[in-house]
Amino acid sequence: MNRERNRFREREREMGMERLRELTPIVKEALQNTARVANFFCLLHFTGAYMCTVAKLVGPSMLPTFNDGNLVLTERITTRSEKVGSGDVVLVRAPDDPRKVVAKRVKGVEGDVVSYLLDPKKTDELNTVVVPKGHIWIEGDNAHNSHDSRQFGPVPYALLHSRVFFVVWPPADFRSVGNKVLRF
Amino acid sequence: MTTTAKLLQFARQWKSTAKEMLGHTIVLAQFFSLLHLTENYICSPTLVYGPSMLPTLNFTGDVLLVEKMSTLLGKVAPGDVVLVRSPENPRKTITKRVIGLEGDTVTFLVDPARSDRSHSLVVPKGHVWIQGDNLYASHDSRHVGPIPYGLLLGKVFYRVWPPRDFGPLGQ
Repeated sequence: MNRERNRFREREREMGMERLRELTPIVKEALQNTARVANFFCLLHFTGAYMCTVAKLVGPSMLPTFNDGNLVLTERITTRSEKVGSGDVVLVRAPDDPRKVVAKRVKGVEGDVVSYLLDPKKTDELNTVVVPKGHIWIEGDNAHNSHDSRQFGPVPYALLHSRVFFVVWPPADFRSVGNKVLRF
Repeated sequence: MTTTAKLLQFARQWKSTAKEMLGHTIVLAQFFSLLHLTENYICSPTLVYGPSMLPTLNFTGDVLLVEKMSTLLGKVAPGDVVLVRSPENPRKTITKRVIGLEGDTVTFLVDPARSDRSHSLVVPKGHVWIQGDNLYASHDSRHVGPIPYGLLLGKVFYRVWPPRDFGPLGQ
């Protein structure tokens, strides 16, 4: 009786080992494919962090230059080498909400004197400000519907994320982005 | 032999070396990728120096381990020593202690060396208030104002150099 039980258990173990051996090449291939996917995403992230990536713009604050839903190409080379100048459209991490990245136009860099209307709907009063060292002044092209430096003040340069240089979607808007504000 | 044939022969001789070089370059690129990801999103060592965090940190320099997950997840609390990108010079990184988060009321001595006058304010939304432990020799939020949260780089959790100060930082 015991010998039969032992032989039965041995056969069970053998079958278990066989199944494991059958699965090994599948597991190997799964791991290899995971490694390839991980490599690809690493490269994608790396390119996005140091060179160029795509971003989707939301909101009306950059009308008529950009519309809600535009896909743009952004690059990080000018921001990292501190070559951002007045007139560039940039992506900035919002100073009042660190999880939000907003797109605005740079109106002044450190040392520039910036004038803006305090309340464009009500008065014609101008307020003049000198942009402090290490900061930039950003404004949306749609002055009536934009939450920017006129509300939260100059933004530290280190919050700059990237510079917008091309619009890729929708196809009707395919064009490069320059320093001039579009006027219709 | 014609020039093309000579070039082809040259190329054939260097084919295996080129393949090997490509393999090595890929491994190197993968290594730097992994290093970049670890340093920016998990943990990185930093050398800090200066008098603004005495007596917690030494004047002549400490190597600290800075972890990045807390700042990315928003888990920074008052009392944490953090690494911050300077709002006045985007290339400079400063180390200070978080005194207040958005919505907190902070009270501070305007000029501790000369007077006892103190000032209170509420930290605005999306900002933090940082101060160095050495109030007399620290250029921090008392001079520059509240710092946007987006400038926080990481939270210091361990000191690895000098060996006599090895261990977590004091309070």
